[in-house]
Amino acid sequence: MPELPIWQYDTLFLALALLFGITALAMQNLMGAAIVFGAYSFLMCLIWTTMGAVDVAFTEAAVGAGVSTVFIFATIYNTGVCAKPKTPRVAFKLSTGLVALGTGAFILSALPDFPNWGDPQSPVNSTISPYYIEHTIRDAHVPNIVTTVLADYRGFDTLLETAVVFIACIAIYSILRTDAAKLKVTEPDIVTPPPAYDPTDSLIIRQASRIMVPFMQIFALYVIAHGHYSPGGGFQGGVILGASIILLCISFDLKYVLRQWTEKKIMLLTALGVLIYAAVGLACMIMGGEFLNYKVLNPLLPGDEAYARSHSILLVEIGVGMTVMFSMIGIYINLASNGRFDRGL
Amino acid sequence: MEYAAYFFIVVGLVFFLGTSIGLLRFPDFYTRMHAAGKGDTLSTVLILFGCIFAVFSQGDLTFLLSLKILLIINFVFIGSPTATHAMMDVGDRAGAKPWKRKGGSK
Repeated sequence: MPELPIWQYDTLFLALALLFGITALAMQNLMGAAIVFGAYSFLMCLIWTTMGAVDVAFTEAAVGAGVSTVFIFATIYNTGVCAKPKTPRVAFKLSTGLVALGTGAFILSALPDFPNWGDPQSPVNSTISPYYIEHTIRDAHVPNIVTTVLADYRGFDTLLETAVVFIACIAIYSILRTDAAKLKVTEPDIVTPPPAYDPTDSLIIRQASRIMVPFMQIFALYVIAHGHYSPGGGFQGGVILGASIILLCISFDLKYVLRQWTEKKIMLLTALGVLIYAAVGLACMIMGGEFLNYKVLNPLLPGDEAYARSHSILLVEIGVGMTVMFSMIGIYINLASNGRFDRGL
Repeated sequence: MEYAAYFFIVVGLVFFLGTSIGLLRFPDFYTRMHAAGKGDTLSTVLILFGCIFAVFSQGDLTFLLSLKILLIINFVFIGSPTATHAMMDVGDRAGAKPWKRKGGSK
């Protein structure tokens, strides 16, 4: 890029991103909106690049502009909002293929500039990794470097990842959830539910899952709490916890689980997980540090500054685990009960 | 100890081979699941048993490690046949017909 100061690029990109965002929301034609969203994603990709976050830019280009646009197109075609596309002519196909090949060749031509795989002189291995390897034990008393990077050095990133899980859960609720009482029209059941406590239902499966579920949950708690020392943490443990409840949903039935975990409880606990994470960050601010700078929580938590960081990582992981667990349960119940939260598998 | 480990692991692998052949060669859903359920459980348990003997004579945390492997054996022993049973049950409800010998009596 030429030598403009970075803020001019940023202003330009941000203005364009805002414009595209508003255009996409204001458009009536879904197809057009999808295309404008693709352009918006590419602009975000450029913004990430000017910020130096090339990995995020790649992800944005591949997922945001590429795959999700294709998914939206496929949905629009298959729901019949748009007319089916005509089969294109051979010349059009050939020219498209040429463009694709040209782009691929262009990207591949940049390949020799990359450092070799595992090259000790590459920027990643010579600057960033040694810092973490040297400082993790001293800073946080946590042997598992990945956990420290995830929940401490890049805590902000993980907070937003947790928020993304939460937002995905809310999106699925807002799409699938229907009020069974208001639903006068009997739509065809996609899921045909078995009757509650079918006596012909297998006793073996119920008893076996009754034995397994407590152990699964203990193991999940172990995974959450042991993330400091071994592979594990909030996301993994939360998934196992969610799976244990889903196993109950499958082997018994949905009503059995909903007696304990009502919709309101599930939704509140999903939000509470994110809240715990953000509250730890906010507590750091109240104690006079920066957001998510766990060091300043030292007076509140046992041990020295490094242990304060270690304990805060645990608190944060618990929040992540709660959000992931209850998002999974909520999503499963929405899918299984056709959005009615009353019956289903 | 070491030879016991070899013995159990090799026997487990033999059973695994039988399971794989059964899974590929049996004629219908039920018999294939039968092979998977029995053979897979037994061979996994045997191999894990061999692992207990293998870890038992090395390091300082071996007792705890063996205990964990024993727990895994326990859960495989409960979980694997139950999963097979569940799939059999669903197959029966979905109306998968059991295989019969051609021309045999009913």
